[in-house]
This record gives sequence, structure tokens and C-alpha cells, in this order.
Amino acid sequence: MSMTRLPDYVVRRPSGFYRSTNPGTKLVVAALEVLAAFLLPGWIGPAVVLAAVLATAAVARRLRGLATFGLAASPIVGSILLVNLFLLPGASDPIARLGPLAPTWSGLWFGLQTVARLLAFSSAIALVYLTTTVDDLLADLSRRGLGRRAIFVVGAAVQMVPLTIERAGEILDAQRARGMDTEGRIWRRARGVLPLAGPVVFGALTEVEERTMALEARAFSAPGRKTLLRVPRNGRIDRFLLWAALLALVALVGIRVAGRLG
Amino acid sequence: MTSPGSNPRVPPAPGSNVPGSIPRVLPHVPSIEVEAVSFAYPEGTRALTDVSLRIEPGETLAIVGQNGSGKSTLVRHLNGLLRPTGGRVLLDGADVRPVHVAHLAARVGLAFQNPDRQLFAGHVSAEIEFGPRNLGIRGAELAERVALALAAVGLESVATANPYDLGYSRRKLLALASVLAMRTPVLILDEPTTGQDARGVARVQDVVARAAAEGRTVIAISHDMRFVAECFRRVVVMRAGRVALDGPPSAVFAEAAWPELRASYLEPPLPAVAGARLGLGATPTGGAVVAALAAGPRNR
Ligand SMILES: Nc1ncnc2c1ncn2[C@@H]1O[C@H](COP(=O)(O)OP(=O)(O)OP(=O)(O)O)[C@@H](O)[C@H]1O
Ligand SMILES: [Mg+2]
Repeated sequence: MSMTRLPDYVVRRPSGFYRSTNPGTKLVVAALEVLAAFLLPGWIGPAVVLAAVLATAAVARRLRGLATFGLAASPIVGSILLVNLFLLPGASDPIARLGPLAPTWSGLWFGLQTVARLLAFSSAIALVYLTTTVDDLLADLSRRGLGRRAIFVVGAAVQMVPLTIERAGEILDAQRARGMDTEGRIWRRARGVLPLAGPVVFGALTEVEERTMALEARAFSAPGRKTLLRVPRNGRIDRFLLWAALLALVALVGIRVAGRLG
Repeated sequence: MTSPGSNPRVPPAPGSNVPGSIPRVLPHVPSIEVEAVSFAYPEGTRALTDVSLRIEPGETLAIVGQNGSGKSTLVRHLNGLLRPTGGRVLLDGADVRPVHVAHLAARVGLAFQNPDRQLFAGHVSAEIEFGPRNLGIRGAELAERVALALAAVGLESVATANPYDLGYSRRKLLALASVLAMRTPVLILDEPTTGQDARGVARVQDVVARAAAEGRTVIAISHDMRFVAECFRRVVVMRAGRVALDGPPSAVFAEAAWPELRASYLEPPLPAVAGARLGLGATPTGGAVVAALAAGPRNR
């Protein structure tokens, strides 16, 4: 392709296992994993998907990133566990009795399974984040003929995550600078942090809106073909993986639907 | 358990023991020492390298320098938001490292560069209350502080408005007021005049002048050389995370320092250029410049 003659700083290709895999392929693989986590029965779904994601992350050297992500998810994981452990409707096999509270075995198993599913599907998505640059993803989607609006929506959504994290950090810092206690008891910290959610989300939305306008001002939706500076790799393996994942995806959905009907 | 919102580890603000009174006597103003401070952000950007400064109580100090030269990073060390990766920051000779930000905030107030990353309350006066409340201020004094801070930046008429219904320049003034109401002996403003029209700049200048007159230490980051030359008695020029120049405006804006300034992508303020051409020094008064010009070409 003529693109290969572009200087290095323009094409700067990602290197390394899975990181250099075609972004579209990775998206389809992630979609398959997400579906599998929910559609495969019992423990099989979450177990298979988690194993696949962890193995891929290990070879792509992204385990650390995934661990950080897992840590960030720990509050929600904890609350799912607790709610199920104590409040699963219809559960009647108590592990112990703690005053008015009765944790149940079925609650524990159901909670663990829910958490495993949640972690499986979200880490599949997280792995796409961790191994793909936004530019590559957008370039690939655009090369595949996805409309500009759709690409913008995907791009904005993807970029909102790190932006929101950064913004949240600074907003928190600004309140600490005004004496908010973030080093005290948990409940006090939580109470201080909750009101900040508003400006974080609001700010992220404003930023996206502003970016939309800035893009329009630069003729983002003008008709005509776009020139792509970076073209992500799309070799034989990428295409094979893409089709294999698509097939598996269709098969999985097909089997589930047939199972329901039968 | 303490009453909601009060913070037992933050010392009561000075004067708060006398309900309703505004402390006319300033709380103790600490000296600030930055000793060979270096700082790198976790992902590796080296933002400060071996920065040393001593800031005396009551000094007015402007920090200038191109984008990314480390100005904001430096001031965030003064209230403990960032901890140096090398060197020390001392308040009154005591290392601030073990002190919580919530404690330091009672002594060093910092208004952020971007108001949208600071404002969060549903209306203007609640936003201003937030800081003093964290310091344990309540009741009449709290109301008084809010009123005075609003007046200082000219936002009395919008006390009940939602901060996000205000324009950018007023949001920025609100962020300034919200720190002002804490009455910290050290006041740090990160680019206070950015985005302000002439009236807004005048308000900021007024705030700086009054704080300085009360004996507080005022530190401001700015790209506005005129504001810097007119309101501050000391100027620190930062370049690539280091202190490139440090002195009174008359020295930092003097002709001899222009090459250094320009290496930091800064232009000396117009009065300094005019003053140099007219032989009036780097910080001439407007009157002196006009007089020299009127005296005719002999002086030029
Ligand atoms: N949160 C952060 N994480 C990583 N790097 C950062 C962060 N904040 C600033 N930096 C980097 O540190 C360096 C100094 O940034 P800083 O914000 O202190 O500069 P500044 O002088 O305040 O610039 P400006 O005039 O644009 O406000 C820059 O290279 C910047 O990209
Ligand atoms: Mg800055």
C-alpha cells in the first residue's frame, strides 16, 4: 500500500501481540466474549471468557492495566456480593445467623456468579481499551465504511472515559484545596465525593458537545472521502480471527435461540 | 462523633471564636521555602527540576512562564496536593510532607486555573460557603464571609444563581471568591486574569492589592505581563520546570533580561519596553512615560 511510505511519526504502528491486531477484529472478539459471558449457562460462560481475556492480556503484557481496572470495579463487585449474600429473594439455606441478617449459600453462589459475569464481560471490553489507540480504532471503523456520525459517537464515548477520570481527579483536588477531608473515615469521604459526580458528568458532556462543534467548524461532516493517515494492520490472521469470531457469535446466538424455542 | 460537616482535624480558622466578627488582625502568615524540589508525574513527565524559592510573609509573587513550564505543578506543592519526588517544601521551617491537605488548606488557599474543575455547588453562595465550612466556620461569620467574598468580586447580584449559568469570566471570579472566603494567610491564584475583560482584571487587581495590604502572601500565576508588572513586587520566570529568573519586576523586565525572557517565550510588558527606550527603567509609571514623550524627541 502506498501508505507505507509515510514517515514513522505519522504511521507509528502499534507493535506486540494483540496490540497490533486489527481494531475491528478486536471489537468483534470482545463482542463475542461479552455475549458468551451472558449466554453460556452457569459458570461456563464467565469462566471461559475470563480465562480467554486473562490469557490474551498476559501475552499482550496488559495484565497490570487489567488489574487496575479490576480494582476500580471492586466497589460495585463488593456491593453485588453483599446484596446477594444477604438479600437474595427466595434463598433459604442460611450459612449462619447474625442477628437480623442471614447470609445464604445460594445468595453467595449467585452473587459470585453475577460478579464473575460482570468482570468477564467488562474486562473483555477493557482489554480493547488497553490494547488499542483511539486513532487506530476510528481509522479502522472509517475504512470499513462506518458513517462519520457513528464514528464520532464511538470516538467520543471512548475518549470520554480517560477524560472523565482526569477531570474527576482534578475536581477532587480542587475540593481538597478548599479543605475537604479526603483522608478521614470512609463515610465522610464518600459524603464529600458524591456531590462531585454532577460536575464530572456535566463537564464531560459539555466537553463532548464542544468537541462536536469544533469538529463541525472544521467541516467534519462535509461530503467526500476522508484521507486516512494511519491505516491499521489488517492481515490474514486478523481477517481470519474476525470471521471466526463472527461465526462463533452467530452460532452462539443461534444455539441459544434454538434452545429457547426447543 | 462530631457535628455534621465539622472537621476535628482542621484547626479552627483564625477569628472564628468571635461570632460575627471579621478578623481584622491577620492570622500568622507563614514563610514558604521550596528546597530543591523536583517532581515527576506518575507516568513520567518531569515537571519540576531542582526548584528553590524562599517566599517571605507578605510578599507578592508572580510566577510566569510558557505553557507546560511547571507553574501549576509548583503551586500545588505549596498546599500539599502534590508531594515532591525530591526536595522539601517548608511552611515556617516545618516540612509539609506529613501534613494533610485539609490542614494545609486552612493556611494556603489555592484557586485553580480552570473554574469548571472547581465549582460544583448548586448555587453561588453555597459554592463560596464550601471552603469556610470545611474550616469549621458557621452562622453569622459564615454569612459575613460569603457576603464579603461576593462583594470583593462583584457577584452580589447573582448569589442565588447556578454557577453554570454564569459566563466563563464570572465563573472564574466565583472560583476566586470561593477561596477568598477562606481567609487564608497565603493566597495563590492560578491565572486569575485569563478570560477577564478590563473590569474583571480590575477586580482581580483589587483583590490582590487588598490581600497584600492586609499583609497576606499573594502568589499568582499569570501570562498577563502588565498585571504582573503592576501588582507584584517579585517575579519568578519558569522555564522547563526550572526557575530561569527571579527578582523584582524592574530587574526581570529590564532590557538586560529580555533575551532570557524571550527564550521563555515571554514578551516584556509594553511599559518596560517604553521605559527602556525613554531611559526610565523597566517599571515606569504611566505619568512618567507621558511626560517623557511630551518632552520631545531629545529624550528618545
Ligand atoms: N496531571 C498530570 N499528569 C501528567 N502530566 C501532567 C499533569 N499535569 C501537568 N502535566 C505536565 O507537567 C508539565 C507541567 O505542567 P503544568 O500544568 O505545571 O504547567 P503550567 O506552567 O501550569 O502550564 P500552563 O501555562 O499551560 O497552565 C507539562 O509538561 C504537563 O504536560
Ligand atoms: Mg497551569
